[in-house]
Amino acid sequence: MLEAVGLSKSFDKHEALKNLNLKVEPGEIFCLLGANGAGKTTTINLFMDFIQPTSGVVKINGLDVTQQAKATKKHVAYIPENLNLYGNLTGLENLQFFAGLGGISPDKATAGQLLMEAGLQKEAITRRVSKYSKGMRQKVGIAIAKAKNAENLLLDEPTSGLDPEASNDFAGLLSNMRQHGVAILMATHDLFRAKESGTHIGIMKSGELVHSLKSADISLNELEKLYLETMKSTVYA
Amino acid sequence: MLKLIIKKEFLSSLRDVRLQVSAIILLSLMVTAVLVGKEGQKQIQKEREAAQSAMYDQWLNQGNKHPHSAAHYGQFAFKPKPVLSFLDVGLDNYTGVSVFLEAHKQNEVLFSGAQDSNGMTRFGELTGALIFQILLPLLIVFLTFNAFTKEREEGTLKLTHAQGLPIRTLLMGKIWGAYLMVLLLFIPIILLAYLLLDQRSSSLDTEVTIKFLGLTAIYALYFLLFVMLSVLVSAFSKNSGLSLLTLLGTWIIACIILPKATTNLADKLYPTPSQFEFRQVIKEKVKNGIDGHNPSDVRFATLKQEVLDQYGVSTIEELPVNWSGIAMQAGEEYTDQVYDQEFSKIEQIFQQQNRISEWAGFLNPYLAIRNLSMGLAGTDFNHHVLFAREAENYRRAFVKKMNKDMELNHKPGVAYADYGVGKEMWSQIEPFQYRLPGTANILANQWRGIAALVFWLLSLITISAKLSAKIQIIEP
Repeated sequence: MLEAVGLSKSFDKHEALKNLNLKVEPGEIFCLLGANGAGKTTTINLFMDFIQPTSGVVKINGLDVTQQAKATKKHVAYIPENLNLYGNLTGLENLQFFAGLGGISPDKATAGQLLMEAGLQKEAITRRVSKYSKGMRQKVGIAIAKAKNAENLLLDEPTSGLDPEASNDFAGLLSNMRQHGVAILMATHDLFRAKESGTHIGIMKSGELVHSLKSADISLNELEKLYLETMKSTVYA
Repeated sequence: MLKLIIKKEFLSSLRDVRLQVSAIILLSLMVTAVLVGKEGQKQIQKEREAAQSAMYDQWLNQGNKHPHSAAHYGQFAFKPKPVLSFLDVGLDNYTGVSVFLEAHKQNEVLFSGAQDSNGMTRFGELTGALIFQILLPLLIVFLTFNAFTKEREEGTLKLTHAQGLPIRTLLMGKIWGAYLMVLLLFIPIILLAYLLLDQRSSSLDTEVTIKFLGLTAIYALYFLLFVMLSVLVSAFSKNSGLSLLTLLGTWIIACIILPKATTNLADKLYPTPSQFEFRQVIKEKVKNGIDGHNPSDVRFATLKQEVLDQYGVSTIEELPVNWSGIAMQAGEEYTDQVYDQEFSKIEQIFQQQNRISEWAGFLNPYLAIRNLSMGLAGTDFNHHVLFAREAENYRRAFVKKMNKDMELNHKPGVAYADYGVGKEMWSQIEPFQYRLPGTANILANQWRGIAALVFWLLSLITISAKLSAKIQIIEP
């Protein structure tokens, strides 16, 4: 379970996040929508302890991320927007390395299986990652996250730059993880993907969570309208 | 976890084409430097041994003559080329290789390599030391400048952090991974150098091995310092460009600017007199006495009276011994006193200059390793002074022997030209032999360098431990 309570973050005088309250239960996918600078990535960074909150609490499975940083890492996997990995290592070696850091040591066969389940072609597994497309790297990222078998997943615009097919495959994988009870928080620009994959949708604006609703309660058209109206109000605010 | 990071870092560097090319170039340079250096050292040592032997043969075969003439005929002492000088020529090119040993005069060690070379010598020879001290750190800079910044720029730092990897462990892993890569280049060269040592019959085999191991250890430590420093700079730099700029700037300051500045400062603080001034002072003191109030004629008159009183006679002619022999030796000993006093002043100035360079090792590890390396290779100023002292002791001993023979055997009334000795006498003077000081002597003389390197290591460990928690995962 992922939880933010009264979470705020300021960079010098700029308030990047204002009093965020959010909860993602197991089996839920919470999609955060918003323009650039709305505070989506800041939220993810706070959950991952990449930065520390100015005020408020971030919890993963009930553990305070700031106070128990190391312990919370066991319960969360993360896929960033630009997953570059280590170019001089193969996909297999990257997976084995990152999984190893998480305390799991999959053998070659298991690691290969995980990569193929994530959608990577067999012949690509032993190729150096420097030769991979962005979609292929994202698949390695998914395999790394799956290898960790964490109860929570944080995604920062994971489908940005992916072709429609890769994006669709990605959505399938997320759905599969959700069905296994994983709590997923995803920052995205993709309204369609948010509506299709998300169980909950939040719209952020200038560091605030302006709307929070269930995906089932709104159609794609209504979501688009709501989003645009929110963004417009941002422009003229 | 640490093992995993070290393995990844090592593997990643090993597969980096730019590093592969740089490493091959550096490795070729090192192999060339070591092979050429060893060949040169062997050749020079052979020449010096041959010259020393030829000069001694000349001494033995100079024919019958008066012992004082033989003292003027003199001998040469050649400075041996230390076995390990093939790794570090140090000051050898500037300190001279041989000294003419003769009566009345303490000559300087002359004929340095720099005298016979063109201006290029000033830029330094391609030696193991040059590569280890200057070029390998440059490779370390290129190997590590983006150790953290690249990960931060590409987002992999976030991913490793997300996996629960403590930043301190990552820092350690990066340091050891890069260090392993450096050792991969260093160890084969050291093994090659060891094979080239050619330690067949030298009684100093153990000493040479100890010094060689000492050199290996201090260089291994020096590289570790550079790796730690570079990785730390990368960890706290905003981006790779800034990190590279900082490290290159540090390298230029440490390896090029500071050594020159330190030398200039030492020279300013402790200026050395010109050779002309030095010789004038000696001439003056020999003539008028060390205190300026004891001219040579007064000194000899006093000595004469003492000798006459000792033998209970009133004229030189009545003496049972040769007065000239006694006077010569007394003059010799007085001159020695003057030389000792003046040379010790000069040595002290040089020592003070060297001390500045040694203490500066606490500011700049390059200076510490440079001094230590020269010391262990037997090519530093200390070795030069020890050689000059030993040659001087030899000169005094053989001149004294000649004077003693004159005193005891050249009977009064016998003309100078009518008294002579031959090979039997000359062979009583053993050939000049110089043995390099042992490791204990070197370490006693170079403790500041070792202390400086240890100080740097402890400082960098402390900085790593204290500041690692402050390393930013994402760009601030």
